[in-house]
Amino acid sequence: MSRSASAGGGLLAGLALVSFVVSRLSPEVVAAACPLGQDLLRPERSVCALALGGLWVSLAIGVCAGALATVAGLGVAACARLLGGAPEALLMRGVEAVFSLPDVLMVMVLQLAAEAFAEAHPRWGVGGFSRMVLSLALVTWAGPARMFRDRLETLGRQEFVSAARALGGSSVHVMRLHLWPGLRGFVLAVFLSRLPAAVLAESTVSFLGVASMEPMSLGRYLGTSYSALIYEGGSRIVLPAWGLLVLLVLGASLAARPASVRTR
Amino acid sequence: MLVPLVALASYFLMAVLPLAADDDAKRQVSPELAASYRRDLGLGERWGFLRPWQKLARGERLGTSAQGVTGEELLRKLAGSLAVGGLSLALALTWAGLYALALARRSGRRLASLGALVPALAFGTPVFIPALLLAPLVVERGHFLPELAAAFVMSLWPGVFLGGILAEALELERARDYVRTARGKGAGPARVLGLHVLPNVLPSLLDALAPVATALLAGSFVAERVFGLPYFGQLYVLAVVHKQIAVVAVATTLFAAVLVSVTSVVELARVAAGAAR
Repeated sequence: MSRSASAGGGLLAGLALVSFVVSRLSPEVVAAACPLGQDLLRPERSVCALALGGLWVSLAIGVCAGALATVAGLGVAACARLLGGAPEALLMRGVEAVFSLPDVLMVMVLQLAAEAFAEAHPRWGVGGFSRMVLSLALVTWAGPARMFRDRLETLGRQEFVSAARALGGSSVHVMRLHLWPGLRGFVLAVFLSRLPAAVLAESTVSFLGVASMEPMSLGRYLGTSYSALIYEGGSRIVLPAWGLLVLLVLGASLAARPASVRTR
Repeated sequence: MLVPLVALASYFLMAVLPLAADDDAKRQVSPELAASYRRDLGLGERWGFLRPWQKLARGERLGTSAQGVTGEELLRKLAGSLAVGGLSLALALTWAGLYALALARRSGRRLASLGALVPALAFGTPVFIPALLLAPLVVERGHFLPELAAAFVMSLWPGVFLGGILAEALELERARDYVRTARGKGAGPARVLGLHVLPNVLPSLLDALAPVATALLAGSFVAERVFGLPYFGQLYVLAVVHKQIAVVAVATTLFAAVLVSVTSVVELARVAAGAAR
């Protein structure tokens, strides 16, 4: 593993570990030791506990939504390549239509629809966390689908794949035995690129007050306090959240870089 | 194709779900609000999905109470958002030029470290972070115009994104033979850059404008909310929060139409730039 991947992976693992420990295992210890003081609207909670607790929720949403979007994109790309010809072209036109939709706006619309559905059918409705994960995955799978389809097409032009086909290997056999090994590193790179994108989209939608999630994510934490943050003293609360988001994006981009370079 | 698709999808999504429960007790909205939804969305009527547009064309108010909007107000708010977005795009292009210039003047090692850190910093900064940091100066002290502050915070990530693309394209073009030939014939660096390199870099920049337009319009939702600008983004967010579903259906379609228009203009500019080369 390269130094950049180790640094990125270590950064992501460190953020996950610290946020989990702070938010779940020892919030009292952190509250006593937090140099940033108490929150403006929730004086019983420290800024450190709220920011790191929010990061844990954001990270969990990002991992779940990123993984779902990656798996869905991979499934659609594999189906498209297996179908081939006109059905593939038609399917990919649909993928491009979904890809062109603005993600924040669509997540807001889906959140509104899902909340309304959950209110009308409490038995069938899902919780705020699952609603957000599903909305993000539904909106962001098209990007990975396009990338996987292009990658599969490139791999499919290799000589060993042509040889396997000439020897009578079926499409599924070629996909499973010859294309998948060359795709694994790329799948990881795509997932790592989706992770910060999902976290940032979730943060923006939650900041706007559209998603109702408990415990709060980073965006929702800042969004619920924004009427107090727009006056003096708000930077004490905004800066740690910003730092955590930047570290998350830096970790994911460093970790993804060798995987994407290796698979070129 | 995208605009009618979004129009129908958002209409049916908005129309069916909130009224899906069989009886009023299960439904979490009051009977008056449910009746207003039905009226605004033309549910159960032939060509009912055109009802919100018909109401807007007649100058009637769509939605309920203070969160409702007329067609004229909607267009005025959209114009406000587009003006802020246009200003933001101009700022983003300025930052892009400065960033590309800074990258071009750095040595290889420094460039590599900048290449990882600055994009991560820009991408990891959602619009609400600089907006909240700048808000005390705008809201409390009134030092800057809210519109200018909104355009500034929206332009940061697009500026770095476009700057990275511009720097890469510039580096690629400056290594080509025609640049050496032009320099060999005695053309100065500014003339080579303006006459030969920039026209060849323009298509890469134009290709990146469509995702930037999406990011700017999405960023306007947040910036308008934080700085209290009464434009389209603020209207959209309030309509979603207050479940003004007819307004959401119409605004979503308008938003898609704006994006399609921007993409078409960029495509035309791309064709024009290609023809001029």
